Amino acid sequence: MKTILPLRVNGETHELAVHQHWSLLEALRYELGLTGSKQGCDKGDCGACTVLRDGEPVLACCTLAATCEGSEITTIEGVADKDGPHPIQRAFDVCGALQCGFCQPGMILSAKALLDRCPQPSDEQLREALGGNLCRCTGYTKIFEAVRLAAKGLDRQSPVRYGEPAEGFLVLGARGRKADSIQKATGEAIYTDDITLPRMAHGKILRSPHAHARIRAIRTERAEALPGVYAVLVGSELPTPYCVIPWTPDETALAIDKVRYIGDAVAAVAAVDEDTAIKALALIEVDYEVLPAAVEPEDALKDGAPLIHETDWKGRPRQDNVCKEVALDFGDVDANLAASAAVVSGEWFYEGSTHAPIEPHCALATFNPDGQLTLWSATQVPHYLHRELSRVLGLPTSKIRVIQPVLGGAFGGKSEPFDLEFCAAALSRKANRPVKILYTREEVFYSHRGRHPMLMKMTLGADADGALKAVDSDVLIDGGAYHSFGMVTTYYAGQLLTGPVDMASYRFKSKRVYTNKPCCGPKRGHGSVQPRFAFECGLDELAEKLKLDPIQIRRKNALQSGQRTVNGQLVPSTGLNACLDAVERSSGWKERHGKLPYGRGLGVACSMYISGTAYPIYPNEMPQSAVQVKADRSGRLTVFCGASDIGQGSDGMLAYILAEETGILPDDIVVVSSDTDLTPVDLGAYSSRVTFMCGTAAQEAGRKLRQKLIGGVAGAWKLPEERVGVALGFLYDKDEPGRQISSKDAIWLAEAAYGPLGEVGAYRTRKLGGDYRGGSIGASPAYSTTAHVAEVSVDPETGQVTVEKVWAAHDCGRALNPQLVEGQIEGSVYMGLAEAIMEAHTFREGGLHLGPNLLDYRIPTSVETPDILTHIIETIDPGGPYGAKEAGEGPLHPIIPAIANAIFDAVGVRLRRIPFTPARVLAAIGQAEAARLASK
Amino acid sequence: MLRMPEFQVHRARSAQEAVELWHGHGGAEGRGKDAVWSAMYLAGGTDLLPNIKHRLFTPKHLISLALPRPEIVDEGDSLRIDAGVKLQTLADHPLIQAVLPPLAVAAGKVAGPQIRHMGTIGGNVLLDTRCLFYNQTESWRQALGYCLKKEGTWCHVVGGPKTCVAAQSSDCVPVLLALDARLRLVGLGGEREVSLRELYRYNGFDHLTLTPGELLTELRVPKPAAGFRGHYHKLRTRGSIDFPELSVAVTGAWEGDAPQALEIVIGAINPQPKPVRGLDEWLGRPLTDEGIDAIAALVHKQTRPQGSIIGDPDWRRAMAGVFTRRALQELRAASA
Repeated sequence: MKTILPLRVNGETHELAVHQHWSLLEALRYELGLTGSKQGCDKGDCGACTVLRDGEPVLACCTLAATCEGSEITTIEGVADKDGPHPIQRAFDVCGALQCGFCQPGMILSAKALLDRCPQPSDEQLREALGGNLCRCTGYTKIFEAVRLAAKGLDRQSPVRYGEPAEGFLVLGARGRKADSIQKATGEAIYTDDITLPRMAHGKILRSPHAHARIRAIRTERAEALPGVYAVLVGSELPTPYCVIPWTPDETALAIDKVRYIGDAVAAVAAVDEDTAIKALALIEVDYEVLPAAVEPEDALKDGAPLIHETDWKGRPRQDNVCKEVALDFGDVDANLAASAAVVSGEWFYEGSTHAPIEPHCALATFNPDGQLTLWSATQVPHYLHRELSRVLGLPTSKIRVIQPVLGGAFGGKSEPFDLEFCAAALSRKANRPVKILYTREEVFYSHRGRHPMLMKMTLGADADGALKAVDSDVLIDGGAYHSFGMVTTYYAGQLLTGPVDMASYRFKSKRVYTNKPCCGPKRGHGSVQPRFAFECGLDELAEKLKLDPIQIRRKNALQSGQRTVNGQLVPSTGLNACLDAVERSSGWKERHGKLPYGRGLGVACSMYISGTAYPIYPNEMPQSAVQVKADRSGRLTVFCGASDIGQGSDGMLAYILAEETGILPDDIVVVSSDTDLTPVDLGAYSSRVTFMCGTAAQEAGRKLRQKLIGGVAGAWKLPEERVGVALGFLYDKDEPGRQISSKDAIWLAEAAYGPLGEVGAYRTRKLGGDYRGGSIGASPAYSTTAHVAEVSVDPETGQVTVEKVWAAHDCGRALNPQLVEGQIEGSVYMGLAEAIMEAHTFREGGLHLGPNLLDYRIPTSVETPDILTHIIETIDPGGPYGAKEAGEGPLHPIIPAIANAIFDAVGVRLRRIPFTPARVLAAIGQAEAARLASK
Repeated sequence: MLRMPEFQVHRARSAQEAVELWHGHGGAEGRGKDAVWSAMYLAGGTDLLPNIKHRLFTPKHLISLALPRPEIVDEGDSLRIDAGVKLQTLADHPLIQAVLPPLAVAAGKVAGPQIRHMGTIGGNVLLDTRCLFYNQTESWRQALGYCLKKEGTWCHVVGGPKTCVAAQSSDCVPVLLALDARLRLVGLGGEREVSLRELYRYNGFDHLTLTPGELLTELRVPKPAAGFRGHYHKLRTRGSIDFPELSVAVTGAWEGDAPQALEIVIGAINPQPKPVRGLDEWLGRPLTDEGIDAIAALVHKQTRPQGSIIGDPDWRRAMAGVFTRRALQELRAASA
């Protein structure tokens, strides 16, 4: 029974009806509707729920509401006042410190508590004070900048100014705010779990305790009989298999006859509240026949290994657990290796890791009386979700609307349909009321789709002058229980290695194997981060053998703009040498590499990554991306696009491009995105395709509209159209620049001349790729290039590796908004170095995840994240919008091998297995020492 | 969201009221792994509430300690620290920083800032033991087949049915032990004082010698003798949030480079913090490099970490020696 609790929140007293066992977070979010305080980890590990209690930062998820009587609670909604946002909120906006924005309410409150107590914090105090607030997007770099700016004092009334644009541009190239960042900073942004609907039920999913078992029977009667339960769902009710790749459907919404990993979904319940749903789950009886499990790929490949999938997607019996196998070769690798002056051969292992966005997955479904489904979901692929919902639910796509609210981080972890989306929809249909399902953090770990563990055998050979003659690669990929993007992963593990360092011949084999573990998928840098680690470490060893500078060997082999890779991919632009120059200079490489005292070292590595893929996931002749734009008499533009802003800032990107083309101020441009009823299709936020493809579509729509504004003004002024220029906020007569008309008035003239103003633009992919089977996978219209130098210190007595500083140079083509590009680079470096030094998705023998929570699965805090210095390199790409390429995934790749190579420079050992834990580093140092003594 | 089972919250304004409420609401039956808690005390909640979310405890009543403002008081030859003092307060307090610097350091290294603003020193001393196979959700533990500490019959760390090695993982306890802190406990029968050294035992599922229902109200830490030097090192992967993977507290009285008294306590490896034995032979004379190495070797020998957390126990064991050596070098150098 609820009791009445008087609670002081944001200066007001509320009389709240709360359950005694509710946390303060539940009371704030679900009773007061103060949804700015976020739920990220369930139990005090992430800091997203931070509020101030009597001025001190506390975790609302681990505070009982019932104990807060007499305290003054401040939430993010109470930080702004009648004069507007607080200076810290302004500073987060100005500095680009918000990407997905999900951790920021808590972060801002921790920052406020710090500055209230200590107005001029030292660097150490700042890092320490934010240490309990995990951020997964920013690498903390811009957050530190924002707090320092706020500490300096910031005029809270001042408008957010845009920096100077690039030469010849109105907007592009300027440092600018993200479209929605002040909403995120003030707690106003609405994420999926922030939405509640009348009569809404709460769903929960029952998960398998076995890694591999046959389901003999499921009995749901007792659960159904529990008061407050509206509906119970089992797998046989949604039998249609699905997969994000339509050729390989091997997954059902709920398991039907077998479970394939601990955490596989078995049944679902909708009830009046979560507590009742949890009780109902315990009443569902599942009769399992436990089967032997194959947890590691080596076991899954053994003769007589249990078959994880007994048939393939066409119903044919399977003989083994191989999900996909690819073998391709280009040139005579064996002859080139035989002729090489130096050969390096080794075995590298890349541990699995997960995305860990701070926002857990969440879906909310409702049907209207006409049978029309609306599904809000924390997804980064609304279009693919729309299609798969239609297949699995047996509803035409015209009866389904998918809306992606503001998204709290994704990184590839939300790029395919998940059980909760199907279950929310099916339960809603069955219960005839809205149903919301929010994953626990543990469920996020089970849904996974994270980085594939890969065992890589690689051999590299080079001439005496360092020219790379041959690369031979053999990759074993641990896929987990289902296919996901597996076919693409298997290709990417080979196809994406052939630049920016060119090679004369190349051969790869890659094999993805099913195992009884959560399914792996696309994590930032899908499929290619792992082989890149092996390759860039191998290249460093080659340089060592040949006594070449590691930067020099990369320069020597740099692919040139307009060249084709050995596997036939055309690379229109590459900025590798400029990237290497930048990090060489800024890191003091020449003076310091190889010359630092024992225990300190520098390492370099580079990479190349796609800007979108040539083909959509399902074959069709339609555009990959489309934009519609309308101008109205208020002077505002509305842009409609299916693109998913997952924190990277694609909504802002659309606004900047439309502003650039039309001269309408970015703040007067409204972006409506990722709503299948309202927006034209874009395929989603994956493969680093959004800026390149949506940007091109926006550019086309903007140019058409610009022409009409010019035409309207030219007509009214009776001038040739060529004489009318477009500036920010107005149009003018080029011959008489004092003669101006506001953008708004120009819209009126254009509407009078042409009728209602609406334009469309699209991006269509040209045919790309090598002329062989699989040659189009990995083919991209443009490629980014990156080079990093990492500086580490290694404690030779403990093995502890500290990344002291990272210099990151990334060629993104034209930087449309450099502040956002920097944010992508910094976030990538952070996520990669986390994989290098601490993160590991590890399992017990029987397939039980060893730490499915944000305490045991450690992601770096503000304290140990190093300073990251970014260099933006702009090699203008002939195909990209204004020359732009991707920035969100490429910059992750080189940091792992750069750290490995820096460890070698520091202490002379080569680490071939991530993460570089102190125990591993210390063991390697010990072995090297033993070998040195033995050779004496 | 991971939710808590239903319970009632009762606010206690005094220790006596808390104890009465606890007994009045059914207290507990049994102890250790067999305990059935009808009522539990709630202070900062940072350990208990996640454990309740994990269904490690399912009390029907929580006795929320809303005692008068906790204090840190100079009582002449000792400091009194009320159990309700927040860890951040302890870390920042001028008296603690001046008189017991390693305690301020240890308190300042607990978890992250929010948890230090919530958690109390009393809760830190009474922290439940921790283990990879225990601090998990109900469904996870079901998939595991449960463990000896809770609902099961098998310790997955040592692989046996008898010994539970879940680790006492408080940052402050090794320092408080080295400083010979005493505790004031309030029960139905009145108050008593015990040495912290008597509080813990080597049994992860029943590691406290308290009588169930006894409430910790105060700590008394003797003021160290002249020449006091102390050090606390916390081994952790991240610079924030994490529990210690190993902790080393070193305290003692020094004359120049000669220790006159020396205490070393290793924490976060076993159910019971580990005071290192056999240090007397290095007292009263200058501590040489060889002496430091010998003490480090002794610490290494006596430190037996268990695989109760992710990570290599042998490496953690080796680190006990390394960090002891570094601590002694630093303390010896402090004479200059």
